[in-house]
Amino acid sequence: MAALDDRALRGLVGSDRVHRDFYTSPEVFELEMERIFGRAWLIVGHDSQVPDPGDFVTTTLCRHPVIMSRHTDGEVHLMFNRCAHRGAQVCTEPRGNARRFECPYHGWVYETDGRHAGAPYPKRYASGFLKGGEFDLAKVPRMAIYRGFVFACLSADGPDLDEFLGPMKSHIDAMVDRAPDGEVEACAGTFRYRFGANWKIQMENQNDLYHPMFTHASTTARDGTQFRRHGAEDDEAGRVRLLKENEALNEQWEELAIGGHRYGHTWMERFPMDRGQSGPVHERYREAMEASYGERAAEAMAVKHQNSIFYPQWSIQYLTQHIRAMNPVSVDCTENVIIPLKLKGAPEEMWRAALRSNNNSHSPSGMVMSDDMEVWERCQRGLASPGNEWVVFARGMDEEDTDNRGSFEGRGTSEANARHQHAAWLDYMCGEA
Amino acid sequence: MRAEIERFLYLEARLLDERRFEEWMNLFAEDGWYWVPAAPDRKDPYDGVSIFFDDRRVMKTRLERLDHPRIHSQKPASRTMHALSNIEIDEDHGGEGEVLVRSNLTMFEFRLDKQTVYGGRCRHLLRIRDGGGFEIAWKRVDLVNCDGVFETLSVPF
Repeated sequence: MAALDDRALRGLVGSDRVHRDFYTSPEVFELEMERIFGRAWLIVGHDSQVPDPGDFVTTTLCRHPVIMSRHTDGEVHLMFNRCAHRGAQVCTEPRGNARRFECPYHGWVYETDGRHAGAPYPKRYASGFLKGGEFDLAKVPRMAIYRGFVFACLSADGPDLDEFLGPMKSHIDAMVDRAPDGEVEACAGTFRYRFGANWKIQMENQNDLYHPMFTHASTTARDGTQFRRHGAEDDEAGRVRLLKENEALNEQWEELAIGGHRYGHTWMERFPMDRGQSGPVHERYREAMEASYGERAAEAMAVKHQNSIFYPQWSIQYLTQHIRAMNPVSVDCTENVIIPLKLKGAPEEMWRAALRSNNNSHSPSGMVMSDDMEVWERCQRGLASPGNEWVVFARGMDEEDTDNRGSFEGRGTSEANARHQHAAWLDYMCGEA
Repeated sequence: MRAEIERFLYLEARLLDERRFEEWMNLFAEDGWYWVPAAPDRKDPYDGVSIFFDDRRVMKTRLERLDHPRIHSQKPASRTMHALSNIEIDEDHGGEGEVLVRSNLTMFEFRLDKQTVYGGRCRHLLRIRDGGGFEIAWKRVDLVNCDGVFETLSVPF
């Protein structure tokens, strides 16, 4: 393709379609890493993954290896996992507890807040050379924590986290406020998997109400019921109606609200099945919530959204109780990390049900995820072929009357959320974000 | 006893390889379960997430799905080869009428021109049936890459 100036980039995104190069061009991908992932606030994890001083986890952020650690002062720090001397990674364990990080190459040592703590035989360096902070582990330019969620921004400039999240902050609150103690905890480990498709294909999929009855047809039994995707409080993989009375339910899908906010964030209302919780465990939960929140309890307990996507890199799924970090690896490969969240103070039975729900639907063998990943990979392979150069997102176009760059609200199986993401993509890529 | 146990475990492997999933499920006791933890050294399935943690009810849902005409992730279907080795029998471990069997599992999976190899340590708690033979009280597979990065999995180990 031609040089990627603004005109070429704008040529990839039409009002109701995107060009296949949007998903398949390595040059576009490299620019995205710089202009989107290099500027947006990205999720790193949750501070409960490092509860005690010296605790750390290693991960990657926009392809860069990083360490998230808790220092002896109780603060969380986020450093690039690269020795300031010759560049070796100073830590390769996925998680653990360390007094200090020591480079394997020449033994340079760092405190758990990244400060340079010494180099062996320092006398051969000029006096004072190692002092002054130049040889600390480099900090990720910006880090911020909101209600335990740890965010990073690879750019020193741009909107702060508060501005970046905007109205989506309330979508984080909606998850955390469901806990009687007002906190969530990432204490179940993670699922990690990768699939052979461009990161944007998953982004567009997560708020797509047009696909479940087709992509996930195999999770529906002959009698039209589906296994319960979300925690059944009696800890059974109960079955719920998904496709039975197909026509009626399709209308219900069309009734669901969808929408978005600035910077490409989108959301979708809770699915029509699985509504209404009752029983003794739910009663205990309600009592715990009322004790904490008083008159606000019913509002705090209500699950309004199915999932909320924080463009370009993570999402919350409410009933399954997890966050999903989606890290691009290459133009045709993406790696997911699923982190389940425990609602602190809620009955243990609810947590057990949530764990089972995550196992059933979102593990690498998950009955929902495996079909999604298959379809995304087929998209990527299909898009390698010429012929139809465009990928169409025209559904609901005629109903759209809002500016895609601000907040908007739509309905049902419209593809407005994907169009909203595409508008944000252009803003990032052509310098208006 | 050892020969009978080996015959039983080899039958189990063959049922999986021949995609006779319902017959496979029926090797499990009514209260039986199948567990593949997503982290090493897990003590309890509720200590964290699992790649599989299926009681008979979830197993049934999963296996009905494997036979569903529109299971996209199994078009084409995976071809597998389960191989068991290093079988150790521990008659002291289980309760009355039970025997714990440890083995090493290698599974080859071929799908869409790609071959993947999995390895893990299995534990089967076998219950001796009244009329003879065994049923699986539980089966646990600890994959060597249990907390690694996976691609899609559809068939049991």
